[in-house]
Amino acid sequence: MYKSSLGSRMFDLFNGLFMLLLVVVMLYPFMHVVAISLSTPEAISAGKVGWLPKGFNMEGYRYVLNRADLWIAYRNTLLYTAGSCFFVLLFTSLMAYPLAVREFKAQKAILFYLVVTMFFNGGIIPTFLVIRELNLLNTFWVMVLPGAVSAFTVIIFRTFFRAIPYEYRESAFMDGANDFRILFSIYMPLSKPLLATFGLFTMVAAWNEWFSALIYLKNENLFPVQILLRKILILEQFADSGSSSGVVRMEGNISPRNIQMAVTLVAMFPILVVYPFAQKYFVKGIMIGGIKG
Amino acid sequence: MQMMRVFLKQKYLYLMVLPGLILVFIFKYLPMYGVIIAFKDYNVFAGVFESKWVGLRWFRLFLDNPMALRVFKNTLLLGLYNLVFAFPLPIILALLLNELKIEWIKRTIQSITYLPYFISVIIIVGMLKELASLNGLFNQVLSLFNIEAMNFFGRPEFFRTLFIGSGIWQNLGWGTILYLAALTNIDPALYEAAHMDGAGRFRKIVHITLPGMAGTIVILLILAIGNMLEADFQRVLLMYNPVIYSTADIVGTYVYREGLESARFSYATAVGLMVSVISFVLLLAVNQISRRYSENSLW
Repeated sequence: MYKSSLGSRMFDLFNGLFMLLLVVVMLYPFMHVVAISLSTPEAISAGKVGWLPKGFNMEGYRYVLNRADLWIAYRNTLLYTAGSCFFVLLFTSLMAYPLAVREFKAQKAILFYLVVTMFFNGGIIPTFLVIRELNLLNTFWVMVLPGAVSAFTVIIFRTFFRAIPYEYRESAFMDGANDFRILFSIYMPLSKPLLATFGLFTMVAAWNEWFSALIYLKNENLFPVQILLRKILILEQFADSGSSSGVVRMEGNISPRNIQMAVTLVAMFPILVVYPFAQKYFVKGIMIGGIKG
Repeated sequence: MQMMRVFLKQKYLYLMVLPGLILVFIFKYLPMYGVIIAFKDYNVFAGVFESKWVGLRWFRLFLDNPMALRVFKNTLLLGLYNLVFAFPLPIILALLLNELKIEWIKRTIQSITYLPYFISVIIIVGMLKELASLNGLFNQVLSLFNIEAMNFFGRPEFFRTLFIGSGIWQNLGWGTILYLAALTNIDPALYEAAHMDGAGRFRKIVHITLPGMAGTIVILLILAIGNMLEADFQRVLLMYNPVIYSTADIVGTYVYREGLESARFSYATAVGLMVSVISFVLLLAVNQISRRYSENSLW
């Protein structure tokens, strides 16, 4: 440890203050959502709610949890999230394994086939038309299959598989295992951190996905949480004063903003719960990806 | 014969890549082929193949449309402001985080600033609307200066600030990761040597830390310029309304409205294609310039 100059200590002071300000700016919106969702309508319309709830009011949550469409949407989002995660990991591993096998003849051609898609794409309209021609509109599949294989992820998986000692594959061959066995009982168990990282990335992306649902799904029974959230949060024009609007009938002690913030929290809840545990995997993931690309 | 035997020996490998090949073909290659409708008069009943060719009709139609100038200008300005205001901030934050001496404080701040990245755009925009509402935080701050409450989302002059600001809020922390990763590769001996030579803290930041990130900065800058015209139109779609189209309508949202809401498929595809081509040329150019002058390039 060396003596620090006055300038250096001043720097530390300002740096510390800046970090404090940053933390406040980052956390305030989250706290504010919680606070509004729990406050009384009078306090909300008087603009008195900041960091902490004013009064106590669970009506917003009661209203939200009594909405049948929310439960359906929650179930759908869970299905899309689980489905996306499963297909991404399965198809990406299946495709990356042969590309990691040195003597696989078609390797170069397939890599080229993949890399082309990193630079060119058809854009939203042609993709929409293809999906419509295939009769995939309004199906579960449209939410899980189009994003299942991406060139970038396959290449990262391939790099990871290549680092696994080749002797494992050869000796498993001697014992009579075929390539499927080798992938599922040797390569994939050895790649758990990789699978966890990309599984989590996929799940967060699927949980938050709304645009493909907006353009590909018209059937309300298939809507994910995000679409419902958009309806309640962005599209429904509630009166600011808390008086009843045509869309949602207010009864008793409840403000539309109670509802909006309660549904926001309900939609965000799984992410907030998983985040502290998953964070290190996310950072690892971006590092693996960032080294090349 | 020889080839046949190799193929049979590797039949499982071919079987394994098959699902991926098919998915990529359907969801990536077919749409690429579908881009040809930009040069055709797409008709739902005739399909992509049978529709009539019309050459550059849609491109001309767009360029003759007064809307073209507006969406181009809005797209370009959003991209430019993003580059000027949002791009440098993660670099600065990474430098400042690197100067924090207590490890757990640094890690806590990282965790907190990464969080918004994982929240859905809809929630981000919802929170922003709440903060910008008539008795929300923004108007409360303004009232301290005796400024009358205003409807931020109803005034075109505020859109760009709201868009860039919310983008910074969401992506600032996450954006530091690659820079911080680059910093872990700096040899600590460099700092010691500089200290021996009497370099102070600021000189170390300027002469060691910053150069240590330079490669990453250049690569990310090339990518950012290549993406300049591809502003996050999904967020714009959630934030804009007809009252503020004059500043908020960008190419992505225009393509969405014309193509998916008005079903003018060929026209919208042509507009999208034009911007993609410009973006691609931009990326090639920037990459070339960078390769010549800084030895950093994407390929």
